[in-house]
Amino acid sequence: MESRLTRIIVKIYLIVFLLYLFAPLFVMVIAAFNDSKFPTVMPWKGWTTRWFEDLWADDRMWGAVGNSILVGLAVVIIAVPIGTLAALLLDSIRGRTRSFLYGLMVAPLLVPGIIIGISTLIFWNRIGVPSGLHLSTVGQCSFICSYVMLMVLARLQRMDRSLEEAALDLGATHLQTLRLIVLPYLRTALLTAAVLAFFQSFENFNTTLFTRGGATTVTIFIASRIRTGVTPEVNALGLVLITITVAAAVIYTIRKKNTAAV
Amino acid sequence: MSQDIALETVTKKFGDFTAVREVALNIRAGEFFSFLGPSGCGKTTILRMISGFIEPTQGVIRIGGQDMRGIGPNKRPTALIFQNLALFPLMPVWQNVAFGLEVRGVAKAVRRKKAEELLATVELADSAGKMVSDLSGGQRQRVAIARALAVEPQVMLLDEPLSALDLKLRQHMRAELRRIQKRTGVTFVYITHDQGEALTMSDRVAVMSQGVLQQVAVPMDIYNDPATAFVASFVGESNVFAGRVTETEGGTGRIETEAGSFVARLGAGVSRGDQALLFVRPEQMHLGAAAEAALNRIHAPFSHAEFEGNFVNVFCGTDGHKPLMSQTRSDPGVLALTPGAPMTLGFESADGVILPAGELARE
Repeated sequence: MESRLTRIIVKIYLIVFLLYLFAPLFVMVIAAFNDSKFPTVMPWKGWTTRWFEDLWADDRMWGAVGNSILVGLAVVIIAVPIGTLAALLLDSIRGRTRSFLYGLMVAPLLVPGIIIGISTLIFWNRIGVPSGLHLSTVGQCSFICSYVMLMVLARLQRMDRSLEEAALDLGATHLQTLRLIVLPYLRTALLTAAVLAFFQSFENFNTTLFTRGGATTVTIFIASRIRTGVTPEVNALGLVLITITVAAAVIYTIRKKNTAAV
Repeated sequence: MSQDIALETVTKKFGDFTAVREVALNIRAGEFFSFLGPSGCGKTTILRMISGFIEPTQGVIRIGGQDMRGIGPNKRPTALIFQNLALFPLMPVWQNVAFGLEVRGVAKAVRRKKAEELLATVELADSAGKMVSDLSGGQRQRVAIARALAVEPQVMLLDEPLSALDLKLRQHMRAELRRIQKRTGVTFVYITHDQGEALTMSDRVAVMSQGVLQQVAVPMDIYNDPATAFVASFVGESNVFAGRVTETEGGTGRIETEAGSFVARLGAGVSRGDQALLFVRPEQMHLGAAAEAALNRIHAPFSHAEFEGNFVNVFCGTDGHKPLMSQTRSDPGVLALTPGAPMTLGFESADGVILPAGELARE
């Protein structure tokens, strides 16, 4: 009896939890089809696809999306190698030096994004580097590196150390061991970290706001629209992004299943 | 090609803990040499020092006469077979075997061919393209051996590689390892806590306890002529009697124990008046007429018997004492005895050995 009650409670909890996660997304998606000037579901003024047409024709919006993708890719290219190397370093040392360096690496995650943004701006402007997307990239990297480091380190700590020893014993140099044994082992973690880094960058607002100069990213663009009045065009963009993300996730899962079956 | 290994009073400390204490021995080129001892006796530490993963705190290790100080594991002429084998899970079998050649810059076609040759010698020719996870325990074992042989080591180091296998496979792999060692002529250094493995495979065995080398000898001498109380109690079964040595003459001595006064061979380092231990193997502890005729006799009540198939273990003694054990060929008469029946056990003086009192192996 008790186990049945427990199961019911767990089920209810699960439903509430999933509702909490997905209800806002659901409302947002529905609002993208509402023929109203405001992004709401109520009052419902009839079905329309005109917000998608507006979105398609909105060059400024697409320019902002392009900028976000550009910054995101740059962040991946910079943050993944730096975070990985930091993880390799932290994994190979012990004691106080490790605690100190670990604290140093994790600290940016605890610093508010606004402060990272302002600091980045002041520091680089002082030494003569103007604001712009490049500065947004640098600012975002300063904390996204830490995410990458944490993910790679977690994977490294589960690695069977004797694999590295076996490689060395068979005559490999440390560099060969890294290239032939460690990096292939980290492949999944590196891919996941790259995806995470990209999305962290894509959705970043605080740090970007201070460092962007005159350039506009998606988050900045949407925020600026709030002042002039948001239309459901933003919801349409949201639906497009969700569709792309879900599609990518599904393709990834299917491919992973296929390789696992081989 | 193979090379000899010399350990020159090697000591390894981890902080305050001494894992290996002043071990000095020579392993001959082409020899199958085993380190035998319970876990924590320092045998794995010695293996890791020979392979180069850790450096001795004191002392020198020479391979082929060359001082190995400061030479990393990737520069030594050794190949280590890990306890968990440490096969690379993301590579097919042939790439595992060819790894040592790959890092030496050997062309892909050449190393593939070499890997297939080696796999053929360990009877895995048709598994070259498989992943390691698709192989059985015994097959993985042979892949690990092929991978180590690929780098043509002078010395092969094996860290309890058979411990994860089931009994039948383990016995098969013992013969297999011995065959490979004889054919390649490579010096094998084998680490184990299993005396059966050490005694059946090795040319010579080193027994270790708590970081100290107890004895280095051929397997037969380890069993028949143990140098210390630890070796006598760790290798094989023994009846142990504690007492004081009252007479010595030539190679024999008399020891007074709670169970009686016995004459037996004297081991090294025992003098008159010493506290000592007498060891008698169960198969030398006779019953019946042989016991009555023996020089040393013990009277004790029958306790119980264990039927083992080709032989029977007979236990005698009173409650509260460790029972005396005699091993005889299967004899239905022994199994019919009732507990408490009076028995005579006996052994000849040549079949008992008196050794200096010392640490015994835990059971």
